[in-house]
Amino acid sequence: MRPVPAAVLFAAMGAAALLAEHWISVAVIAAILLTACLAAPAGRRRFVYLAGAALTALSVFLLTPFVETIGSDPLWTGPTIPVVGTLDVTREELAGGAVAALRLLAVSLAFAAYALLIDHDRLLRSVRAGRRSALAVVLATRLVPTLERDAAGLIEALRGRGVAVAGARGHARLLSPLVSGSLERAYNLAESMEARGYGRPGATRALSPPWGVSDWLALAAAGVLVVGGILWL
Amino acid sequence: MALASVERLSYSYPGRRPALRDVSLELRPAEVVAVLGPSGSGKSTLIRALAGLVPHFHGGRFEGRVEVCGEDTRRTRPADLAGRVATVFQDPEDQVVFGRVEDEVAFGLENVGTAPARIAGRVSAALAAVGSEHLLGRRIAELSAGELQRVCLASALALEPELLILDEPTSQLDPDAAEALLRLASGLGVAVVLSEQRPAGPLEICDRVLFLDQGRILLDASRDEGLGWLARNRPAYLERAPATPSAPAAGRIVCRLEEVSFAYRGGPPVLEGAGIELRCGEVVALTGPNGSGKTTLAKLAAGLLPPDRGVVELDGRSAYLSQDPGRYLVRDRTDEEVALGVDGDVARARAALAAVGLEGFEERHPRDLSSGERERLALASVLVTDPDLLILDEPTRGVDPERKDELAGLLRAQARGRATLVVTHDVTFAAEVADRTVSLGVEESAYV
Repeated sequence: MRPVPAAVLFAAMGAAALLAEHWISVAVIAAILLTACLAAPAGRRRFVYLAGAALTALSVFLLTPFVETIGSDPLWTGPTIPVVGTLDVTREELAGGAVAALRLLAVSLAFAAYALLIDHDRLLRSVRAGRRSALAVVLATRLVPTLERDAAGLIEALRGRGVAVAGARGHARLLSPLVSGSLERAYNLAESMEARGYGRPGATRALSPPWGVSDWLALAAAGVLVVGGILWL
Repeated sequence: MALASVERLSYSYPGRRPALRDVSLELRPAEVVAVLGPSGSGKSTLIRALAGLVPHFHGGRFEGRVEVCGEDTRRTRPADLAGRVATVFQDPEDQVVFGRVEDEVAFGLENVGTAPARIAGRVSAALAAVGSEHLLGRRIAELSAGELQRVCLASALALEPELLILDEPTSQLDPDAAEALLRLASGLGVAVVLSEQRPAGPLEICDRVLFLDQGRILLDASRDEGLGWLARNRPAYLERAPATPSAPAAGRIVCRLEEVSFAYRGGPPVLEGAGIELRCGEVVALTGPNGSGKTTLAKLAAGLLPPDRGVVELDGRSAYLSQDPGRYLVRDRTDEEVALGVDGDVARARAALAAVGLEGFEERHPRDLSSGERERLALASVLVTDPDLLILDEPTRGVDPERKDELAGLLRAQARGRATLVVTHDVTFAAEVADRTVSLGVEESAYV
């Protein structure tokens, strides 16, 4: 599937999860998104994204009973805190917290699926206007993983000569060489781009293959999901 | 008629001493020219001048005239020469723009205004030409260094240039892949200017040899004349029978890997059931094709990676030299950088710098060093720690043949007190420095 319909579909699933009234609908959307995330190729940090989504949802579930005041039959009554009042947990608050957590989980999974499964370069290249801006975004999005890799390389090289990098102070000392290295790389890249004709008038763009059935189906499904989320789910 | 001509070119980067002095030459269509010379001799600057990047991109003081494909480079931007001239730079990682192979190869074609309907075909043809059509659709981040170097070459070939400029294009390739790439370049029917620090390959395929030193052309001759000149004046640049190292005494085992397996997180196994023994007093060369797991084995031996299975035993301290000299640029002074590994002992650091030929560079900022000088700085940063196990991963990348000889001599001289493992694609260097060679296959494990 092409990145544009895939991104639209994931966005629609996130929107439908926010719009749907029935918790089962939200759970089904979350389950589909979870399956999609698990299908991402290995080595793309599935665990980080999934753990992030789960932790966010769990936090909402745990906090909701203490910030909401609904229901009249407390399951647990805690101390009275000045300004906040008496802490209690009711069945209704737990149910509300669970649905809110499920919604947030589904939305987080939609973002995770976007990050894990969609080729951002391709998505940006699909934007036919603003070639320079799209290229700037492509290069900027690569900055963080590149810095991360450089930092790991610096630490490994230091370990390789018996120098341990420990604590916030030790890591902070790497900031300056990382920034210098990043600037040097940017300079080299700019030189290479110039040598490859970047900035010359009359640039063209490679043809994208036409959308297939699955792309059109994804787009249609996205529309159905949003409308269904408002009317039926 | 000349495809390119350089007339009395002198050039200095801003605030630096001259990098090129009174250089004149002509390039004819379809000839293959090998550009040789020590680190810092001006090879890369000459290449940049032919691509128009000097002076347009770098500024500085430019005297003389360079004409490429009928265009005066002072009046024509490098971007406007692109298409007729294509350049592959030293470090493939620093020239990649996009995240997918086909987008990367298409980038230059799009910039020079190739008709959209023709781009996909030329991308496929260029990848096929470098034997990498199987990389179509792959993510750049998931390629090996050798695969990435081939993608960069495909990006240049896709432009179908009249002049192809290659700045150390085989630095990360194994010998077979390097030979294939050079054969391919020489058979294209376009003019090729090729700078290399492993000169054996280029000297086999070239029509003409240039030798630069301190910014001047010392030799501009046909291949046969060039070989004669090199034999008389710079024999280190020619292949020769390797010196046979004296058999080392069988010392104690410093490092032993037994039935070791390893896979990076979420990836396929890189090593399965590999083993090696390294004894005090011996120098072992670890060779093998790209992707065979040499670097991983070296890191396991150094204790930088934990094995998934198997045993790694190390008796003493280890030190590991990374492939990337950019990882030894942490401090603001060269001597302080080296002293990092010895608790700030600047006297030892200066001695180590002198041992690798960097005497007089102590107060320089490491980022002001050339690529060859950075390699030597990295080497000094590791040698200074005087380890029981010394592991060097591609220590000759970007190092000129004369410096390689010195490095081999240095390693041999210090071999007695330690075990040394040298990971290298440079078979000449391996033969010169090592007591024995261990070859790691792609699918097989090595046990010695």
